[in-house]
Amino acid sequence: MIKEGSINGCLAGKILRINLSNKKIWSEPTAKYAEETLGGRGINSLIMINEIKVGTKWNDPKNLLCFGAGSLVGTVAPGACRVDVSTINVFSGGKGSANIGGFWGPELKYAGFDNIIIEGKSENPIYLYINDSDIEIRDANLIWGKTIFETENILHQELSDREIKIASIGPAGENRVRGSAIIIDTAKAAGGSGVGCVMGDKKLKAIVVRGHGKINVAEPKRFMREVTKCYRQYKNEPNVIMMRKAPFNKYSNPDYEGWNTNMVVRNGQDDYWEKEKRIELMNIKTGVPSMQKETRACYLCPIGCMPFMEINKGKYKGTKGEGFWINTIMGNACRFDISDPKEVIKSWSLTNELGLDSDYVAAGLSWVFELYERGIITKKDTDGLELTWGNGDSLNKLIIKLASREGIGNLLADGMIEAAKKIGHNSEYYLIQVKGQPSIEPFRIPKGWSLAVSTSPIAGRHLRGATMGSNTCGPRPRPGNFNVIDYNNQVKGVIWQGKTKELEDNLGICNYVATWMGANFLTLDNFVELINSGMGISLTKEELMEHYAAIGRNLEKAFNTLHTNMSREDDIPPKRFREEEVKSGHYKGFKIDENKYNEMLDEFYELWGWDKKTGKQTKIGLERLGLKKIARKISKYGKLII
Amino acid sequence: MEITINSSLCYGCKTCQLVCSFHHTGAFWPSKSSINVFRNPQDGIVEWSINSTCDGCKSEDTPLCIRYCVYGALNLFKEEKKEKKL
Repeated sequence: MIKEGSINGCLAGKILRINLSNKKIWSEPTAKYAEETLGGRGINSLIMINEIKVGTKWNDPKNLLCFGAGSLVGTVAPGACRVDVSTINVFSGGKGSANIGGFWGPELKYAGFDNIIIEGKSENPIYLYINDSDIEIRDANLIWGKTIFETENILHQELSDREIKIASIGPAGENRVRGSAIIIDTAKAAGGSGVGCVMGDKKLKAIVVRGHGKINVAEPKRFMREVTKCYRQYKNEPNVIMMRKAPFNKYSNPDYEGWNTNMVVRNGQDDYWEKEKRIELMNIKTGVPSMQKETRACYLCPIGCMPFMEINKGKYKGTKGEGFWINTIMGNACRFDISDPKEVIKSWSLTNELGLDSDYVAAGLSWVFELYERGIITKKDTDGLELTWGNGDSLNKLIIKLASREGIGNLLADGMIEAAKKIGHNSEYYLIQVKGQPSIEPFRIPKGWSLAVSTSPIAGRHLRGATMGSNTCGPRPRPGNFNVIDYNNQVKGVIWQGKTKELEDNLGICNYVATWMGANFLTLDNFVELINSGMGISLTKEELMEHYAAIGRNLEKAFNTLHTNMSREDDIPPKRFREEEVKSGHYKGFKIDENKYNEMLDEFYELWGWDKKTGKQTKIGLERLGLKKIARKISKYGKLII
Repeated sequence: MEITINSSLCYGCKTCQLVCSFHHTGAFWPSKSSINVFRNPQDGIVEWSINSTCDGCKSEDTPLCIRYCVYGALNLFKEEKKEKKL
């Protein structure tokens, strides 16, 4: 365990605290929080559970918006650039969290801060300018109402510094569209949980950072020895080339297995997308890959996964940006049955420019398309848009309406469950959501994925233990079953993948660079040595996984227990996937077998030390992790299993 | 001896800039680096520059920026090679 006062490296040292209601700015030391959680998301989670009172809603001034660069961010550890954004989840009312790469997090550390905690609400639109220790709350009238691209351009001019790093919201966040994102470097999104909606509610348009300082490590020579070892692992790993442009390298092959296992088609009517459509979308000569101009990397990334796209011809000429990803194929193409590559690129680009979460757009709006197909809504309701499958032009118009709350967009902006209540006609059944948040994830075919997404404390997202990615490369360091369609022996893999993600978010290491794909990139041995030599502490692999990773997950779970009425029923996949079978393709006939799923869930709770009947945490489990205070708090509300 | 960049191979990860600062200061301090990498995410452009504080990492077998560039974008350009070419 980390001893009090022993951390002497990696941290910038301070947590910046800002109250937007009274404009008060102060800071506090990071160390005491990092000793308990390692850093990054862990610190955000700990502060949220300590300070947000039960009963606080996402749009209450007392809700906190927390940014946390991981403890290794700022050093040269590979992929160390990630930032966690945590707040109350606008969909579930529980823990919200979204993770983001790029260059903003390291700049924050060089400015002298590990985390930023924002409370209160501004009366007028403002932005924050953090220039080392100079912190200014500035008027945002010039950028309010602007897209992400426009906002960044204006701020670069206004501050006359091209090296500033900007995290901002678009019109969607300003309009408090529930599924709004916070965007960094024009294209990297902290998407889930409605974090951009909370930022807009606080009338905070952007956080600009510029840092000129340094990050020290405790034992520089030892730290660099380990870094060298890590870089050698990337240089010797043949899968790096495949991962460098994964959406194109893998999905330009119409027979790639991911097409069969990962895709949810026409809002979940099927999980199989026809081959001719795969080819039209991803053909190397005429499809999406043909419009790739460059490939780019986040800070310190040895893989470089981001294609930079540019459309040179036609009605969308001039559309460009970086970060087209596999989720774009899953969401913007398959869910709407759109195989025209330019329409898909345009919808992805619009989502970034307007500051929307792409998963919310894909899962939410494909639901609206299905309601249109079923006649539950008509042209009268859609402001004349024909929401027919494959109609990219209508999708792009609908995205703009959503971000600006125009017409039908206003109905959808307050969340799809709210919209379903107004629309009626059993429309909620067709909405694919978990814990209130629309979800694009596959549930019927990959079983470990289904379990991880359904049990995710941040509501229906895969980066809390989904395992399919770690099947892609070898060697395979994780436990569990590698046959994704099987129910047996999936749980240990889900827990392993979830725990390593906890560590990655606390350290600020990119999941893709570390454990996501299952290649031998960064292992737990690397984590231990980087942390110990960097922070000047002495932890073991077991302590990392059994204590610190477990604390990370339990803090998010405890927040949900305190702030919501979630129970076992909320950890079950959407009803549609338990009732309707996959209609065609390799996995025709697949649906969730409730008995087998529940057996997985029993094992999952048991291995985490949670109560099988309710899914809730136990006194003994929390106390074993040293979370006595939190156990007492949960007990006070009668939700602790003794 | 000088360090050259093949900009078509550079992904803009800035690892070279950070390890250079470590060579000079023993800390991770990008503003003290001999190298500056500028990324413009709106048009995909990467600008790379090196200033006169570069000492070619005399104490190292290979300059750190080259050693840690996994994309192979940086290289040593030796004067003798240049003479032969001429």
